[in-house]
Amino acid sequence: MIQAPKVQDMKDLTRMERIGAHSHIRGLGLDDSLEARQVSQGMVGQMEARRSAGVILNMIKEGKIAGRAILIAGQPGTGKTAIAMGMAKALGDDTPFTMMAGSEIFSLEMSKTEALTQALRRSIGVRIKEEAEIIEGEVVEIEIERSVTSGAKAGKLILKTTEMETVYDLGAKMIEQLQREKVVAGDVITIDKASSKISKLGRSFARASDYDAMGAQARFVQCPEGELEKRKEVVHTVTLHEIDVINSRAQGFLALFAGDTGEIRSEVREQIDQRVAEWREEGKAEIVPGVLFIDEVHMLDIECFSFLNRAMESDAAPIIIMATNRGFAQIRGTKYRGAHGVPIDLLDRSLIIMTRPYTEEEIRSILKIRCEEEDVEMTEEALDLLTTIGLDTSLRYSIQLITTSSLVARKRKASEVDVPDVRRVYSLFIDLKRSQQYLKEYESEYMFSEVQG
Amino acid sequence: MESSRPVRSCAIAGGKRRLHTTFPDGLEIVEEYDINSYELLSRRVKKTVELGEGKWELEVGEPPSSFNPESDLMIASSTNPIFIRKDLPTEFQWRIRNLPYPFDVYSVTGDSSTSKITIRTSNKKYFKIFEITDLFRKRLRLIPDLIRYTHQFNTLIITYPKPREILLEEAEMRRQLEEARKTRGNKPPQDGDVECVQQ
Repeated sequence: MIQAPKVQDMKDLTRMERIGAHSHIRGLGLDDSLEARQVSQGMVGQMEARRSAGVILNMIKEGKIAGRAILIAGQPGTGKTAIAMGMAKALGDDTPFTMMAGSEIFSLEMSKTEALTQALRRSIGVRIKEEAEIIEGEVVEIEIERSVTSGAKAGKLILKTTEMETVYDLGAKMIEQLQREKVVAGDVITIDKASSKISKLGRSFARASDYDAMGAQARFVQCPEGELEKRKEVVHTVTLHEIDVINSRAQGFLALFAGDTGEIRSEVREQIDQRVAEWREEGKAEIVPGVLFIDEVHMLDIECFSFLNRAMESDAAPIIIMATNRGFAQIRGTKYRGAHGVPIDLLDRSLIIMTRPYTEEEIRSILKIRCEEEDVEMTEEALDLLTTIGLDTSLRYSIQLITTSSLVARKRKASEVDVPDVRRVYSLFIDLKRSQQYLKEYESEYMFSEVQG
Repeated sequence: MESSRPVRSCAIAGGKRRLHTTFPDGLEIVEEYDINSYELLSRRVKKTVELGEGKWELEVGEPPSSFNPESDLMIASSTNPIFIRKDLPTEFQWRIRNLPYPFDVYSVTGDSSTSKITIRTSNKKYFKIFEITDLFRKRLRLIPDLIRYTHQFNTLIITYPKPREILLEEAEMRRQLEEARKTRGNKPPQDGDVECVQQ
């Protein structure tokens, strides 16, 4: 079978995104019957864990069950965070998904329980219908001029509907946005007056001609009717925490942007809960239960665990997903050791998903996906070598060798990463095992080695 | 218990009589009247919204036109038609300035079922649907046959007679304010005076 060469998606240059550790994940990679596909949506292997995550996902989507806890446990580098990310992506933007690390709650400005409460409330969304003022029309003409002396931009935009036409003077911010979105004459756009967001709906049919070379995404739409400036009912999702903040302070929602929310009094929260319940009865709002993901959950201490136990019993609680890489570990704040560093009463309330170490084949697939994500071309031999390194040391280490070896390859003006490049970075950067080995050998030459207690 | 009646306060400031009404559902209306002629100069309305503070919206009177290209977003250019409501003692009146087209281009129609007035232009340059909020608040019907419109000096003028209920209410308000003035010793109204109007 001949494989068609893969055409790389065109990268949007204006919106460059940095590549994170899990940016290759686009979902859980399950089919309709919740069976995990071997390699899909950036996920590889961990079939059982992904299948169980899929079941949990369905539970979240139905939104009926509140306050369940799921614990994802497994060795380091077995895809716990990846599964959580996959769930977040599969749920979509509309379901609140809060990610936090267990150590985040230890702050001097806020008590631990306040931080946890905020995180819990951040994971419950409220879908509210509101009227928004928008401008919707087809661009007739767009003129942007730059002053020769000051460099300030001045602009004019003519929009029309089937019934009317209006000339707008543009402010600097708007000009910048129009240029970023590459709005040209013939586009049908909407501008949200409150948030000043422009969205392109498509090209106008009137401007469609056979000769136009259009990308695959080009959509043709009718020129809007009626008035240019209209009120539309829009639905947006805010979290309970955001409503808390807006109502807890005189300056209102500005505190949200400042990030300076401080502690929120419980009276305010009670009031909000009551009001949201009223909205729900009136049909104005809808509750969207979301997910709170606590990574490194063994970093929480016994107080937080008991608080979580209690918080989970409330019917407004989100689904709590925890992840840990500990086996038997001390539970913080106590002298006792527990499985996964979590007290048994919380463990008993959780569904536990196990992740297992990757096989050689899986490591190879993950490395391949990462190569694509990081835009690195690699020969088969080099990939074999990286896979062996990954098996021998750790998956994270071999992933880190991808970009570094591609930099080395570029130094010798090669387009592909080959075995010598990987060898070179392998010798340049030592991994954990070799580092330990080295330390053991030369321990006596390091500082304070003689004061061993 | 909150009263189910709107709360009104009235004061004279800056040479205008300012009437502030708060309705039980949270709707706020601030109206400014000429001190002597009781002509409605401007009216601002603030509706309640679910999240945060509502925004004041101008219903009657001229909008302030200030545009700072550095910080502001966008504004309809000053050469565009400008829609302004400016009432007469017995009529609601709307003026749309900067409309240079001949009279036969325009058509103004009313819809009695939605109580909305639609302005169209046959050359597709201007279009607007608006409602007479005064009628809407009093739950009165729009009678399309009463709408009149003329065009002169680049301005389209639309008028609609005020219904009896509204005329009576306005006369009542005027009478009360006159009375209040008499109890204060028949002085002409001046800044700082506080008056109260019952509804």
